[in-house]
Amino acid sequence: MSKDDITKIEVGDGAAIPSPDDKGLVSAWWVALIGTVGMLIALPVLKPDPYLTILKFVPDGIVVTFEVTILAIVFAIIIGLLTGLGRLSSNRFINMIASLYVEVVRGIPLLVQLFYIYFALGRIVRVPDIVAAVIAMAFCYGAYMGEVFRAGISSIDHGQTEASLSLGFDKKQTMAYVVLPQAWRTILPPVGNEFIALLKDTSLVSILAVADILRRGREYAAESFNYFETYTIIALIYLLITLLLSKLISAMEYRLSHYERR
Amino acid sequence: MKKLLFVLGMFLILCNSAWAEKEIVFATDATWPPMEFVNDQKQVVGYAIDYMTAAGKEAGFKAVFKNTAWDGIFAGLAASKYDAVASSVSITEKRKKAMDFSEPYFTVRQALIVAKDSAAKSLEDLKGQKVGGQIGTTGYFTIKTVDGLEAKSYDEVGLAMEDLNVGRIAAVVCDDPVAANYALDKYKDTLKIAAVMESGEVENYGVAVKKGNKEILDLINKGIAAVKEKGIDKELQEKWIGQ
Repeated sequence: MSKDDITKIEVGDGAAIPSPDDKGLVSAWWVALIGTVGMLIALPVLKPDPYLTILKFVPDGIVVTFEVTILAIVFAIIIGLLTGLGRLSSNRFINMIASLYVEVVRGIPLLVQLFYIYFALGRIVRVPDIVAAVIAMAFCYGAYMGEVFRAGISSIDHGQTEASLSLGFDKKQTMAYVVLPQAWRTILPPVGNEFIALLKDTSLVSILAVADILRRGREYAAESFNYFETYTIIALIYLLITLLLSKLISAMEYRLSHYERR
Repeated sequence: MKKLLFVLGMFLILCNSAWAEKEIVFATDATWPPMEFVNDQKQVVGYAIDYMTAAGKEAGFKAVFKNTAWDGIFAGLAASKYDAVASSVSITEKRKKAMDFSEPYFTVRQALIVAKDSAAKSLEDLKGQKVGGQIGTTGYFTIKTVDGLEAKSYDEVGLAMEDLNVGRIAAVVCDDPVAANYALDKYKDTLKIAAVMESGEVENYGVAVKKGNKEILDLINKGIAAVKEKGIDKELQEKWIGQ
């Protein structure tokens, strides 16, 4: 819970968001965006077969990708908050469970977790494919998110807790009314990065036969043998989504850093 | 003396490689029992493997097999990562446009596999339900031709069978020897073959080579013809399929 943990999180997760002060990255973002949008428009117009056909083939995959991402992130945030609080808990039992969860999940590749939840546990409980995908992603990212929350909460000066306790708040109230509202500012940007990372990782669920963007692309390529064209479009679609999201999160971070900028 | 030995050695190596049989590398997706699969000794075995090895003996090439994921197996062929694909590839018009095929070496039909307690007899009985197949296979294309089905594509046919086994999907469509292997052996307690689609055309397996690769194609065709002539294919059928 030292200051070192906080720095680690900021280095590990904070870097993906282009900081508004980093002029080089900001202009690179524009170049990438214009290039991506330009290609996504130019390719289908100049060569409708197969590019336009591919573009028409994948949209329901985009919906599924977002469905899995958004559901998974919601559950991951809930799990993450509980885990983060558990990791900071003075109750040794709760602390042990939360820490164990983080250790176990971080040690197993996401792909293996997906297979495990879908096929291994599928023998015991029958969950539909999208549900299995959401559970696996939320379970995995919940652990990462737990570390983000833990670091965010630890970043709040201990004086705040002491002041709050001395004013007569109990421990729960201190956490809910004093620490968490302040920690939220530190936590949100890395949560945004995790969201983008999760969106990209949902491409893994295509192995569970979930019809996401990548699976739709592979189905098209397998039938038409237009591998180059298909994967070009798939990559561009992912890139466009993540570029827009990273800008959104960067803008959000800018507003949240209001106090530091004064 | 040493120098002489060295020169002699080099000479032998050179001769050896010059006289050695031509090597043909076949890509195969070894997840398709009994045609091609990985046995418990981690070797790629099966009907097609024995067939191509025998064809090689007859036509004078050495068949080498490379286990390759099905999704992308044709992309690898186009990029010359291997010489041929011997992986239960049904010869279709669409595929013929993208690659060249050898003479047929095996004939299959599409089979519909369902749970033991299912009453479905055809794909039309399964309207509104999920039906699975391996991505890019003729089985999967068959599902897509029927309206009102939710087609699900898997990386491997085994994963589709497992999903059918636990009840996430209503049926699987694949080539009949593979269907028999799963429904009559591995999952014989839970799955059954509901129908072999008589309505569909007979499909022939061919070895796919890169478009225009005549040299390799001729060699393979020579081997296949010899195997058929000597009746080796009948022996192999008995060994691997049993009918």
